[in-house]
Amino acid sequence: MTGGPAVEAYLRAVAASMPGPRQARNDILAELRSGLLDAIDAHRSAGLAAQAATEAAITEFGHPRQVAAAFRPHLAMIQARRTALALAATGPAVGLLWIAAALASHVTIRHAPPWQWHGAPPLSPEAFRVVGVAILIAVTSTLAIIATTGKLTRWLPASPRIAATAAAAAAAAGFAVAAADLAILAVLASQLASAPGTLAPLPVAAAAAASLTRLTLARRAARNCLTARASLT
Amino acid sequence: MRAETLKGHLDGLLLACLEAGPRHGYAIMEALRAGSGGQFDLPTGTVYPALRRLERGGLIQGTWSAEGGRQRRVYELTPAGRRTLAAERGTWREFSAAVTALLEPAPRPVTP
Repeated sequence: MTGGPAVEAYLRAVAASMPGPRQARNDILAELRSGLLDAIDAHRSAGLAAQAATEAAITEFGHPRQVAAAFRPHLAMIQARRTALALAATGPAVGLLWIAAALASHVTIRHAPPWQWHGAPPLSPEAFRVVGVAILIAVTSTLAIIATTGKLTRWLPASPRIAATAAAAAAAAGFAVAAADLAILAVLASQLASAPGTLAPLPVAAAAAASLTRLTLARRAARNCLTARASLT
Repeated sequence: MRAETLKGHLDGLLLACLEAGPRHGYAIMEALRAGSGGQFDLPTGTVYPALRRLERGGLIQGTWSAEGGRQRRVYELTPAGRRTLAAERGTWREFSAAVTALLEPAPRPVTP
């Protein structure tokens, strides 16, 4: 379903100042298109000619920038929620892969923190501290975002400030998770350099691949959240 | 009427437009316009974001349907939406009764 050239140009103008996840944007644009076609029909049955009806419908819908601005808080919330849900879904899996890799490798686990394990690389204390802080940031902000961008929205005022906070928190969670991945990969690199024989190749490769993938995706998601947040101010 | 005046009531009005049954965005806009005798004439494009927000809050549910050859996103009230509408209506009745009592001139006493 497409509108005429004027309708499509209007929708492009709305889309241009409305950042957000592609699927959510496309769904919004499709709804606006079908609404514009309904408006054109209404103006035509009121007696206007085709072109005049299209112009009247576009005027009735409002300036593209005004319409895009009204959608931006919603899209920022969607972006933050998607990021939070993705981090919540992948976090435990990546964590378990690393635990499995550590258990399969020949680092002796004593009743001690990970950096005091026998055969642990020298970089460990700092790296595990980074991972700990990052996980704390990621878990708290992720839970807060999931709670406040869903059904709870109905109790919150329709304020761009809340959407901006959610997007900023999601960006923080994404960057924190990326930092955790970088830190653990650094530990792996130093272990590979000092004592590669202690590592179980398959579990370690699986965990490293998972971390690398998530690092890339989390960073991209965090940047998208920052773009959404910037569009609100 | 200015959009500002309408702001705090838009959610309740949109829910009320869906009380009789499911409607798509443009039909909701027309109901709003017709139901208010043309007083509520918002830019149509800004009604859609309000609908999306209500949907995210679980008060309405939107689904695409291809009725009459055109794909339209049709919204209907959820049980939570019905409860919220009833609550808004109660609040509004109390508020408007109080405002009417204060703003309207007292009826002229009936002369015997």
